[in-house]
Amino acid sequence: MEQLIEQLKQQIIESLNFEDMTPADIDADAPLFGEGLGLDSIDALELIMLLDREYGIKLADPKAGKAIFKSVRIMAEYIQANRTK
Amino acid sequence: MVYCIGHNIISPLGEDTQSNVKAVQSGHSGLKIYTDRFADVEPFCASLFATPQQFVPLCTRCAETAIRQSGIQGDSNDVIFILSTTKGDNLDLLTPALSIARHFGNPNSPIVVSNACTSGVCAQITAKRLLEAGLYKHAVVIGCDIQTRFIVSGFQAFKALSPEPCLPFSPERKGLNLGEAAATIVYTAEPHEGWRLEAGSIHNDANHLSAPSRTGEGAFRCLQDVTEGIQPHSISLLGVHGTATSYNDAMETVALERAGLQNVPISALKPFYGHTMGAAGVLETIIGMQLVQKGTFIKMLSGFGGVNAAIQLRCE
Amino acid sequence: MLNGEPVTVQETGDKMLVELYRRYAGNYPKFFKMDTLSRLGFIAAEILLGQPADQGQPQVQTVILANRSASIKNDTDYQATISDGKYYPSPALFVYTLPNIVTGEIAIRHHIQGETAFYILDKEEELAPIIHSTPFEAALTGWCECSKPNRFYAKLQIIWNN
Repeated sequence: MEQLIEQLKQQIIESLNFEDMTPADIDADAPLFGEGLGLDSIDALELIMLLDREYGIKLADPKAGKAIFKSVRIMAEYIQANRTK
Repeated sequence: MVYCIGHNIISPLGEDTQSNVKAVQSGHSGLKIYTDRFADVEPFCASLFATPQQFVPLCTRCAETAIRQSGIQGDSNDVIFILSTTKGDNLDLLTPALSIARHFGNPNSPIVVSNACTSGVCAQITAKRLLEAGLYKHAVVIGCDIQTRFIVSGFQAFKALSPEPCLPFSPERKGLNLGEAAATIVYTAEPHEGWRLEAGSIHNDANHLSAPSRTGEGAFRCLQDVTEGIQPHSISLLGVHGTATSYNDAMETVALERAGLQNVPISALKPFYGHTMGAAGVLETIIGMQLVQKGTFIKMLSGFGGVNAAIQLRCE
Repeated sequence: MLNGEPVTVQETGDKMLVELYRRYAGNYPKFFKMDTLSRLGFIAAEILLGQPADQGQPQVQTVILANRSASIKNDTDYQATISDGKYYPSPALFVYTLPNIVTGEIAIRHHIQGETAFYILDKEEELAPIIHSTPFEAALTGWCECSKPNRFYAKLQIIWNN
């Protein structure tokens, strides 16, 4: 799990273009939206694409992302339970 | 002000303005479900030509009729060609504009307006300004976009598309449909009976790139500008953008109320044509003028990049 | 060049824009999400609008930019995300596949709620008649082009209509 969290942090940094940020800068339990990383709606859509591209998880309803993208840890748990690759 | 002396629409609903108006009045829609038009793309609902069209020939065919109707000479130094498009001919915007102007033997460098979904209204505003400044006597405004795998995939990634025909301003709305069409309006600076373009306004929300401002700031300011000095009850029709995305229609409702226009009859044409992008502002203005026949017609649009635009047209 | 004076930079290409961002802006992480065209226009706007204002001059509330190649560099980047066999369309890239997005980025940053517009023209001088027929008090206008990776050119100015 911890390994998946680290890998996911790296993928988030790359796909959302967080220049100057390392995985160590992201708190696995901090909220991704609002406070915390301060992601916006386009980032949410990009994370949906990341789930598809890296883990073969297709989210049809973008609203479903709300529950999954609460924190990196929750996202990793969801991936572990639903990944197809 | 500038005067409309010619117009034409080529869309999946018809080959000229009259057949398009007839189709809309009898409730025909160009929207269909496509399952294998583009590789990899999920099934989508759109208004597409039965036979895929080439960008430049579609534009020139559309403009030829409007120019003939207007009586102007396309090859005259007094005429400027203005193209409204977002993705042009396979991502190239300048070359097709040059080809269109060359097709008509026009000596002036054409202008391409690429202001996202508002382009077609912005292009008419540009025409008005150039004619009023005395730089040209006539302007041929052509709006056109053709749907591609590029565009459909992007809107799908944005989760903005409705899998079924769109429902603007309905609580059941699920998103937009895309469409393709070409539309042309010829404006002149010389006084002429019929429809004239009275006012135009463009404002940015300064809020978000892909979501409209919740307070409808830009759209409200545009409406305020183009309705200055006219009573809401004297407006015959207001053509909204009405994309049927959750945010757009809510934003437009707020903007209309803030501008005191909540009781003005509105029309949304996306259920007939889908969102025809660069063509939308021109096409929806022509249909609006035809449906109203006499009175005041307002057309508004909003788009990516936070931009909003509106025009006021009048016919006595 | 800034106000006719050369500005010294260490880096070239895309890295030069990051260098200028750190020098003239900083603390706007959204910069790193932008495509090159938007970064270019954003930096130019940042430098110009950060200059001490001439006394009594109105604030810029209009942004009118132009180029020849629209958003082609970013269009190509987006296209790479929908290539055959690797079809994962990127929404973050798709949003920049319109040339006017750079005017939106500048409007958001500087809270500009006047007119924003983007024109595609054959030659730079063709922008002048468009600008001169547009009503405004103070406008940020000019050429902003990025046709290929690491190839860009911007020439922006603030114009006041008195």
